[in-house]
Amino acid sequence: MDLLLDSLYSAILLVVGLDAELLNIVGVSLTVSLGATCIASCFGLPCAFLISFKSFPGKPFLITILNTLLAMPTVVIGLIVYSFISRRGILGPLELLYTQKAIIIGQVILIFPVITTLTIAAISRIDKRYRQTALTLGASEMQVVGVVFREARYGIVAAIIAAFGRVIAEVGISMMLGGNAKGFTRTMTTAMALEYDKGEFVLAVALGGVLMSMAFLINMLFHFFQGRGDQYAV
Amino acid sequence: MLYELQDVAVCRGDRTILDIKELVITSESVYSLVGPNGAGKTTLLNVLAFLLHPDRGQLFYKGAAVKGSSKEHHRLRQRVVLVDQYPILFTGPVWKNIDFALKIRKIPAAQRKQRTNEVLERVGMQEFANAEAHTLSGGETKRIALARALAIDPEILLCDEPTANVDAENQERILDILSYCNKKQQTSLIFATHYLSQAQRLADQSIVLQNGSLAEGGNDNIFSIVQVAAPQGEMRVTLGPGLVLKMLDPPISSAYPPKRVQIDPGHVALSNTSGTANPDTVRWKGRLLKIEVEGGGVRATVDCGVRIDALLSSEQYRQESFLLGASVYVNIPLGGCVFS
Repeated sequence: MDLLLDSLYSAILLVVGLDAELLNIVGVSLTVSLGATCIASCFGLPCAFLISFKSFPGKPFLITILNTLLAMPTVVIGLIVYSFISRRGILGPLELLYTQKAIIIGQVILIFPVITTLTIAAISRIDKRYRQTALTLGASEMQVVGVVFREARYGIVAAIIAAFGRVIAEVGISMMLGGNAKGFTRTMTTAMALEYDKGEFVLAVALGGVLMSMAFLINMLFHFFQGRGDQYAV
Repeated sequence: MLYELQDVAVCRGDRTILDIKELVITSESVYSLVGPNGAGKTTLLNVLAFLLHPDRGQLFYKGAAVKGSSKEHHRLRQRVVLVDQYPILFTGPVWKNIDFALKIRKIPAAQRKQRTNEVLERVGMQEFANAEAHTLSGGETKRIALARALAIDPEILLCDEPTANVDAENQERILDILSYCNKKQQTSLIFATHYLSQAQRLADQSIVLQNGSLAEGGNDNIFSIVQVAAPQGEMRVTLGPGLVLKMLDPPISSAYPPKRVQIDPGHVALSNTSGTANPDTVRWKGRLLKIEVEGGGVRATVDCGVRIDALLSSEQYRQESFLLGASVYVNIPLGGCVFS
């Protein structure tokens, strides 16, 4: 118990004192997580709208596949991406392994299904009459998408926040593809794992505190937007 | 001519929910669409609003065949607006809902504001311009939905049950708005309703649907009965708006109301003038649709809201000089009606 209390006290001093190493690790974590979330959103949102709006053979199967991918372990994604970007992989010449880009690639694969499936769910909760009303008023397909996006916006923002929460807390992809290089690819979760291995709890507890604070903030935002979405869903 | 439907069918799985052999809708008229629940009124309105393309048959709009591409539908929807039975308003203030349809037509902001104020005043909702759309009552929502449709000055306004689930005061307001938009804005109006009185009050012509098809007698003149009433000693059998068979000495009982009536085409007479009233004969006004030579005489088909056939002798046909498309009076002797 003393160990935990001592570590907690030292960790608070690190956070309050804006320790350079701590800030660097938090900065790397935010950079890769925000980057991955932005890129996954750019792909996931249009896919979700396409899947929701279009009828095509195999649509239920595709949605089942996306739902299955939600449960994909991060180490499996790490292994698959590693096989592509390692020296012997087909993308080996690009020298992506152990870079922030490699982590972002893995994390995009991790959260693409999260954003897509949660956005599909948000769109499906929106009354079909919004779409029909926009169409009969003379809206084009893109303008209809705009109307539905506006009506489903709280659910869509909640999907993006949930995806960000997933990547900021993951460790498998960051460790396997980033390599935990100090100052470059060391994220909060990989640093905590390393400090634990070394028996240095102070930095690990400080990072844990920052991560938990972020998780709390993310959950607050998620519930806020989810609640707003439910309020306006008809 | 606005619409022409030829052998149009809409299917859901194995079930055909709309099956119309032939229907012509002319411009600047008011059409009521009547029929029981599940008759296909909403489906037909969706087809006419270019929101649903028929699975079979051909739809013509102003003489041109509608192919059904999304680009073509988008172009046609610029001129035709459907107001849903339960209209939905977009999240945000009322004025933004009306502004939406104007904005996508790239109308300048100043004109949009002026037009929004005009239509809100027309529906008596100007004080609600800044109200949140989701806070309005059902009747108010319907009026705003009508204002939103009127703002773009459509060629055709389609309304699905415009007065359903609203109080009497709002019903009157809505009917006034619809009447105004037809008479003052020259907007053609097609509305579905369960109320035969509304259909009679507003509509120039009625389209009666039964089980997804137009209620028409065909060669046998067999019609479904919409309503049977027995006020003050007489019997009224209604086949559609304004299509009532009034009987003082009915051969049927209101306790066991008949479902169908067959009118013998040989007993049906046509005339160009209304003539004198006869208690044993019912007179309906309609439009002469078709004339065919049959046997030694002529078979004439008249659209009175339902299509009724009359077998005329060659002499009578020559004497009266009937014109295709012209108004005629259909005289039905009650003795020629068989109820079942």
